Amino acid sequence: MPFLVLIARNVITRKVRSLLTGAAVAIGIMTVVALGVLTHSLRMTATSILRTGSADFTIAQKGVSDVLFSAMDETQVKQIQSYPEVDSAIGVLVGSFKMDTNHPFFLEIGIQPEDLQPFGVQVVAGRAYSADATDEAMLGYRAARDLGKTVGDTVTLDTVDYVVVGIFSTGQVFGDSASMLPLPKLQAEERKPGDVTLMFVKVKPGANIDALRAQIEKDSPELATVQTVSEFGRIDRNLSLISAANAAITIIALVIGAIGVMNTMMMSVFERTREFGVLRAVGWTRIRVLALVLGEAFLIALASAAVGVAMGYVTIRLIERLPEVVGFFQPDYTASVFGRALGIAVGMAVIGAIYPAVRAALLEPLDALRHE
Amino acid sequence: MRSDTSEKTQDPAAVKAIDVVKLFDGGVVRALDGLNLQIERGEFVAITGPSGCGKSTLIHLVASLDVPTSGKILVNGHDLQSENKDRVRRKEIGLVFQLHNLLPHLNALENVEIAMLGNGLGYREQRERAHELLEEMGLSAKAKMTPPRLSGGERQRLAIARALANHPSILLADEPTGSLDSASVDRVLDLFRRIREERGVTILMATHDTHVALTADRIIHMRDGRAVENGQTPSEGERDKTV
Repeated sequence: MPFLVLIARNVITRKVRSLLTGAAVAIGIMTVVALGVLTHSLRMTATSILRTGSADFTIAQKGVSDVLFSAMDETQVKQIQSYPEVDSAIGVLVGSFKMDTNHPFFLEIGIQPEDLQPFGVQVVAGRAYSADATDEAMLGYRAARDLGKTVGDTVTLDTVDYVVVGIFSTGQVFGDSASMLPLPKLQAEERKPGDVTLMFVKVKPGANIDALRAQIEKDSPELATVQTVSEFGRIDRNLSLISAANAAITIIALVIGAIGVMNTMMMSVFERTREFGVLRAVGWTRIRVLALVLGEAFLIALASAAVGVAMGYVTIRLIERLPEVVGFFQPDYTASVFGRALGIAVGMAVIGAIYPAVRAALLEPLDALRHE
Repeated sequence: MRSDTSEKTQDPAAVKAIDVVKLFDGGVVRALDGLNLQIERGEFVAITGPSGCGKSTLIHLVASLDVPTSGKILVNGHDLQSENKDRVRRKEIGLVFQLHNLLPHLNALENVEIAMLGNGLGYREQRERAHELLEEMGLSAKAKMTPPRLSGGERQRLAIARALANHPSILLADEPTGSLDSASVDRVLDLFRRIREERGVTILMATHDTHVALTADRIIHMRDGRAVENGQTPSEGERDKTV
């Protein structure tokens, strides 16, 4: 009989033990998957603003709890533009409001019309708004489609009516789901005259981006530069907290799962003491006994991981339907979430089973055979 | 086994115990007290004596399941103290227990096969050998049955099949007939004799039953951890009376 078949047979035969062990792993994996997808999706939503414009890096106020609370003076945009390596620096004001239940996080981007092209905005219908217009706005083509608006229609953005003078495309999903207004108009509406939320910086060809970022942060310590989504926590502490909570809960799930595995595996090893004695008496090595117990835990963990992933998926689908999160939360099932779940399942199996397996392997055959 | 050929050629005994002492409970219990004995290759030897005389302890020491407090046990000329005990149990020794010690969730065929896991044989070869052994034990028809569905005698024959799975040179049996009815006892003893004759396996059987012991070539009687009578060979007549 192949060794793997024996492992499978032992797992299937001892149903209660296997189910108890598997339940601990599956619940842990469900938690990890659900939280992983949730956190990743929140991160993607939160960082959507970064991906709106085409830039080499973004600048925001350092250490704010939410990126939308970032506030920089327009004069700082000019300072950034003065660096010789900088090709363009565009200051934008970002606001958000709840339009309806399907659009609880609708973005308004205040940007001057002359900055639209360098920002990566292409007007695909109509025209751009005027710099000093107070009743003109543009909609991203996804937003226009969702809202059923076209050029010439009126759209209400945060209680103010605007004429849709143009439809734009940025090539980014989040940008194309937003609206754009003249910067002074949005500054007035948000009561933030002269302020911008973010600066989008493009560098000249051949410039050293890392060196430039370091120089900017040295010259303006109140600012933080962000190049990748993973750096977003530097300008959004909420996201850092969410990520930290996710990591902490993942560790807790791992520990609880491992304890569950250890508990049932210890019970199993105790109940099977005589069996291990027999196996040792017929010539099995300690390593083979160790491999048997670890193999059983590993198999249970893999099967439970599959169940846990399915449970996590169902949980996400349930969360998705909660009225509080509709529109905020678009589940993003990435391979890394499932890879991590698999890794954690294996971790639970190894951490939880190593001690029982070593105990089984170290049993003296004669003592084990005498065990009642 | 370790290749100590000089010692091996000088000492052809299958089992040799030299001044073996085994103490338990910190020396309070003296299970073996300077035991000396020698069992030749191919012999069928019964160890008899009252409970607590050291029969099972001797079996355990020869099986490398335990180590002597002092003295030496040589198996096929090799001192067990310096041997890899897992390898001795896998390659040299076959063990049969009074209570069979079969794995209840595996069928008869698999119970034989597990003894061969890790011995270097391929899966097909293992299965083939297990089938052969079950046939030899008269259990071919029960190959797919789990031990709880077998009778006591069938379980013991299955345990013997498992003990022979790795072609051991020595078969150790600790009270192998202790839990069997008389018909099963006869069948198991017949099997032992056949195994000795056809395979040339040395058999060392611990039993408290004198009639069972009489089926062996030689009886070693033990008392208080020593061999007090060593070498009695039952006559054909005596043997016939018991079988």
